[in-house]
Amino acid sequence: MLKIENLQKSFGGISAISEVSLHFAAGSLTAVIGPNGAGKTSFFNLICGALRPDGGRILLDGENIAGLSAPAIVRRGIGRAFQIASIFPSLSVREAILGAVNAHHRWHARLGRRFPLTVAKPQADEVMELVGLTAQADTLSGNLSHGDQKVLDIALALALEPRVLLLDEPTAGMGPEERGRMMETVHQLWQRKKMTLIFIEHDMDIVFKFAQTIRVLSYGRVLAEGTPEEVRRHPSVIEAYLGARYDAEHPP
Amino acid sequence: MLACFASASCLVTQTTGGLISGMLLFLVAAGLSLIFGTLKVINFMHGSLYMLGAYFAFTIYNVTGSYALAVLGAALGVGLFGLVFERLFMSRVYGTDVLMQLLVCYSFILILDDAVKIIWGAEFRSMGMPAAFQRPPIMVAGGVLPVFYLFLIGITVLVALVLGFLITRTRIGKIVRAAAVNPTMASALGINTTMVYAGVFALGSLLAGLAGALAVPVRSLVAGMGFSILIESFIVTIIGGMGSVAGALVGALLIGLVRSFGSIGFPLFTEGIMFLFMTLILITKPTGLFGKEL
Amino acid sequence: MRKPSIGRDALVAVALLALLAALPMIFPAKSFADFVMRASAFAIFATSLNLLVGYAGMVSFGHGLFFGLGAYSFALLMQKLGTSIPVAFALTVFINALVAAIIGAICVPLKEIYFSFLTLAFQMLLYSLIIAWTTITGGDQGLTGGVPRPPFLGVHLDDPHHLYLFCCTTLVVSLFLMWHLVQSPFGYTLRMIRDNPRRASFLGIQVWRIRVLAFIVAGVFGGIGGVLISLFVSSAYPDFAYWTVSGEAVFMIMLGGVSVFFGPLVGAALLLLLNDLITRVTEHYSLVLGVVILVFALGLRKGLLGFVMQAWRKYAPAAPGPGKNPGTQGRH
Repeated sequence: MLKIENLQKSFGGISAISEVSLHFAAGSLTAVIGPNGAGKTSFFNLICGALRPDGGRILLDGENIAGLSAPAIVRRGIGRAFQIASIFPSLSVREAILGAVNAHHRWHARLGRRFPLTVAKPQADEVMELVGLTAQADTLSGNLSHGDQKVLDIALALALEPRVLLLDEPTAGMGPEERGRMMETVHQLWQRKKMTLIFIEHDMDIVFKFAQTIRVLSYGRVLAEGTPEEVRRHPSVIEAYLGARYDAEHPP
Repeated sequence: MLACFASASCLVTQTTGGLISGMLLFLVAAGLSLIFGTLKVINFMHGSLYMLGAYFAFTIYNVTGSYALAVLGAALGVGLFGLVFERLFMSRVYGTDVLMQLLVCYSFILILDDAVKIIWGAEFRSMGMPAAFQRPPIMVAGGVLPVFYLFLIGITVLVALVLGFLITRTRIGKIVRAAAVNPTMASALGINTTMVYAGVFALGSLLAGLAGALAVPVRSLVAGMGFSILIESFIVTIIGGMGSVAGALVGALLIGLVRSFGSIGFPLFTEGIMFLFMTLILITKPTGLFGKEL
Repeated sequence: MRKPSIGRDALVAVALLALLAALPMIFPAKSFADFVMRASAFAIFATSLNLLVGYAGMVSFGHGLFFGLGAYSFALLMQKLGTSIPVAFALTVFINALVAAIIGAICVPLKEIYFSFLTLAFQMLLYSLIIAWTTITGGDQGLTGGVPRPPFLGVHLDDPHHLYLFCCTTLVVSLFLMWHLVQSPFGYTLRMIRDNPRRASFLGIQVWRIRVLAFIVAGVFGGIGGVLISLFVSSAYPDFAYWTVSGEAVFMIMLGGVSVFFGPLVGAALLLLLNDLITRVTEHYSLVLGVVILVFALGLRKGLLGFVMQAWRKYAPAAPGPGKNPGTQGRH
């Protein structure tokens, strides 16, 4: 479904991503992990069009989207949520999601009718219900708690009905209980929407609990890939990232 | 206008005229660029500082008879004024909406324009060539090169060199650049960013005031004379690249020459050419000829 | 979120127009009608600028270009080409749209302060053009010879009463249209772009295109303001394109409140009142105005109407949100 071939990206002589080739099967739930600076966010940025690759191909269902603009890639079905919640502070939750729904259906430039469009409401309501923000529908996005802002960030991406959803550290900045709830929500979303979900995560408990498959990046390269069991036993991964005692301390 | 290119004397006269225009513009643009580069604020009333410099110099010369004193006094006076303005007014709107900063500057333009009218009158004034420079001009290929022009060019080049040296090679320059790039970090490292901001604003104002003082012998004075030079300075920084002294020099000379040669053609042509240049740069190299990535 | 209704808003507009039309019966003085007509021109202009500044987050310093362009286009079309008023009006709208498209295309891709300054530079370019092209524009004296006002559809604009109604109607219709735009999906897309252009593009929105469209709409309505002022003074003056027009419009917006749709309208009326007051008391108009603006900029930030609206607002104040501009919370 999403096939990355020989992806390359350098910043001023320093290679952020080199020779990364990965495959993400349709409907899979994959975690991308790795030490800081491994290039995980750059990897996401390259896929969703925030950065142009220096080389390689990104094939979405066979079509090479490498180098396309962000809006063009988004319209092809890739949604992205951000590490630091990227939202519209002055809009209410409902307004923001309606705006996203409008954008998805190319209704966002319509002048003939008033906002909110009647046609957009059911979808927006559905998205809010999916992520559990219905109670906050009329709260200004800027006034939401940090955790809710992250949820809204995901909701905005969901409103685009993406085939591939990239979540950049969905639990960043959250306490352990909140993290669990967030990932439960994400997991339910994934099951209901049957999309290809890729998430970056640092919390290994979360990763091993929820991910179907894992890809490990280190220094811009693929270190390992496989099921959680395979990865946690992988010597390079243990050496580079997990630490030798992880397995002992966290029996599967 | 094309006939001028065929005549050496015309060429010389227009070129020298363009050069001094460019020099004055450079001083103003350098000040504007410095302030913007360090404080991230556009000093929208920068043209008024130029105007003040001109009027200060005019008065000091009329009172003392010494042009040197006039230039010095005007530059320092405007520098001081800029310092006070920054401390009392501009610093209050740092970090707020750029519209607020615009309004503060706009208010001062209005106030200063009227103040100038009240103190010096609303009519055009001119000083004429200071006694020290009332010598026969140098003739170059039949073209006229007033001695004052040489002085002006010399002073400006000197200032440009000092400025460049100051910014790139001295400790003060490093401090200023640090505060410009990352004020929080600079502050955490013990750099007094407040003083840096005040100092840079004062220096930028001084440059504008200096330009005004140097302009008096060759331009007439009137309230509101600063605004067009403000716009041109901005165009200069676009062409040359914001934050680059060399770029400001090149851009200013370009505009100065375009003005000079354009003025003997169709006057609209000048503005149009300037805009053409600017649009071209914006399309091909948006950061300016010498500009760095913002 | 209020229940939106085009019909309801149209009714309100009609009521407002009726009210405005009736006012001269209560205040028969010519100065009152004059004031309303001038205020209409500036209110439309300032509101059009607020479309850019307040709703799209595009700070244009040179919006006065369209005020001047509208005034001169209309006046010249009437004077030199002898067209009817509706035709001249339509052509002026077209000219402003075209110029806005070109300038917008050049300026919009630039970063904030460059965008702001470049729009101003273009405005001054127009101003220089007006001053220099004396054969057509009359130079710094302004257009001489007056603007003909041939009757159309039974409307006689040389009748002051008709002119008054025409201005009020144009005001109400323009504000209604701009309000509608702001409340349409396009308007909300503008807000999204204002708040977070990066995220907007990650929703598939082509930010550049939307911004240029906003610029064009703002330019068109700015020009309509210019049409009214040129009808009112029966001429066109270079002052209409001078940078102070832009500065005053910004002040009007800030005075009335940038986060409120009718802020610029209130601000325009207030500033005109202030202007009249100042000129009555002293000849040092700029000085006094400058001081007033300074006091305002350093003190009262949210504008009069914004102040009032904030007190009314029922939104949870709670923790301040990460809004980019002061006064972004709770916009209409």
